[in-house]
Amino acid sequence: MNSEELLAKLSECVEFGKVNKNAPFPPAMKGMDGADELTAQALEMGVDPVDILNNALIGAMDKVGEKFSQKKIFVPQMLISAKAMNAAMEHLKPYFQSGQVKRKGKFIIGTVAGDLHDIGKNLVAMIVEGAGWEVIDLGVDVNAAKFMQAIDTNPEAVVGLSALLTTTMASMKNIVAEIKGKYPEVKLIVGGAPVTEAFKTEIGADGYSDDPQGAVSYLNALVA
Amino acid sequence: MTDKTVNSDVNQWFAHNQGLVDILPEKVVVEPYRILKGMGMQPADADDYLLDLISNEMEACKKKLMPEAAFNVHFSHQFSPGKYHIKLDEITFKTSKIVYSFLKKSTYLVLFSCTCGPAIENYSRELMKEGNSLEGLIVDLIGSEMAEWITEEVHLFIEKAMEQFGWGVSNRYSPGYCNWPVSEQHKLFALLGENNCGIKLTPTSLMLPIKSVSGMLGIGPGLKRLAYKCNICDDKNCIMRGK
Repeated sequence: MNSEELLAKLSECVEFGKVNKNAPFPPAMKGMDGADELTAQALEMGVDPVDILNNALIGAMDKVGEKFSQKKIFVPQMLISAKAMNAAMEHLKPYFQSGQVKRKGKFIIGTVAGDLHDIGKNLVAMIVEGAGWEVIDLGVDVNAAKFMQAIDTNPEAVVGLSALLTTTMASMKNIVAEIKGKYPEVKLIVGGAPVTEAFKTEIGADGYSDDPQGAVSYLNALVA
Repeated sequence: MTDKTVNSDVNQWFAHNQGLVDILPEKVVVEPYRILKGMGMQPADADDYLLDLISNEMEACKKKLMPEAAFNVHFSHQFSPGKYHIKLDEITFKTSKIVYSFLKKSTYLVLFSCTCGPAIENYSRELMKEGNSLEGLIVDLIGSEMAEWITEEVHLFIEKAMEQFGWGVSNRYSPGYCNWPVSEQHKLFALLGENNCGIKLTPTSLMLPIKSVSGMLGIGPGLKRLAYKCNICDDKNCIMRGK
């Protein structure tokens, strides 16, 4: 396999969720090398880690996000793809640390105070990370102070706030107001089942998305 | 039987039965389609790999399930129509239009708490931490469904008991849903007293263990459980809509 074929195969593994050789999923790829082995092979072959990231991994996760938006795949397939992506990213870690491979930017994400639901937030975090962003996940039940502490450390970051309960939308509104009061220049994107475009405008956030791919599109547009 | 006699019989039933409810872990049932639904899927969308995964995690969760459920009745209450307030003993719940409308005809109000215990959510967290997000999500959804199953069991237990007195039960409602602020949890747990199943509240009124349900339901003659009337609720974005 030449490097082009290797990257194409790696991209396929991420798109369809083939984590490593031992992984039973997808059945059609049973016994074949997965994202883990192929990334190692690409690096051994001397493929530039930037090419691995840009030409194989990000493109594959982009396809996954699009298929999810179009309801061609569902949450499980997306999570398996994200796992394959993570297996590949493990090999790229040293290059991120050395600065040879750069992320598109930083994205702070958390579920707002009063809400413990993290499924949607986790999906967004995985897809955004797969799109080449560094994700700082603050977890659930996050208050304004914790968001602002993270912004203090990462002033260039974009911030994502998630809420699942209609009754915690008020909490989202308060947190957005507090962050914007102190950091008017920080971009805030909101999402979650009860959140709408109209609500985003009402509370003074900058972006809204009803799915992970929309969040990626918003973030990518900021650095385009 | 006079109304007074019935009330006295109901009071006696609660005197003997309120408190902990026996829930056997092996009896807890979660249908796989509910887990698929939680992931936005229909049964036809699932392959054998996913169904096997759900089945395996279901078995693992059953072993980790430590169900607890309890309820208590409150005979003294006062409804304030314009404000949707319900005063129980000395505590005033600021409910919502929809919660109030379904509870206002209750003769008595019952508070309940139910939990799966901490082991299932800890297991989910471990799986996520290890990078097994799909397995972690499935376990999380199984935990939620198990908590709902336990709550339904308590609801049915009270409903069946009330039938013998010619009484019925209302729907059940929880702070955080149907526009009833989640901050009201603290009042609910103050009145649950020792019937709290060991559930602790965070300063933001969330329950720990997470896989817990608490709430209120009404009992009385003429009451019955109805479909959750999302069409009359003004919260068009509620995630429970049409559930």
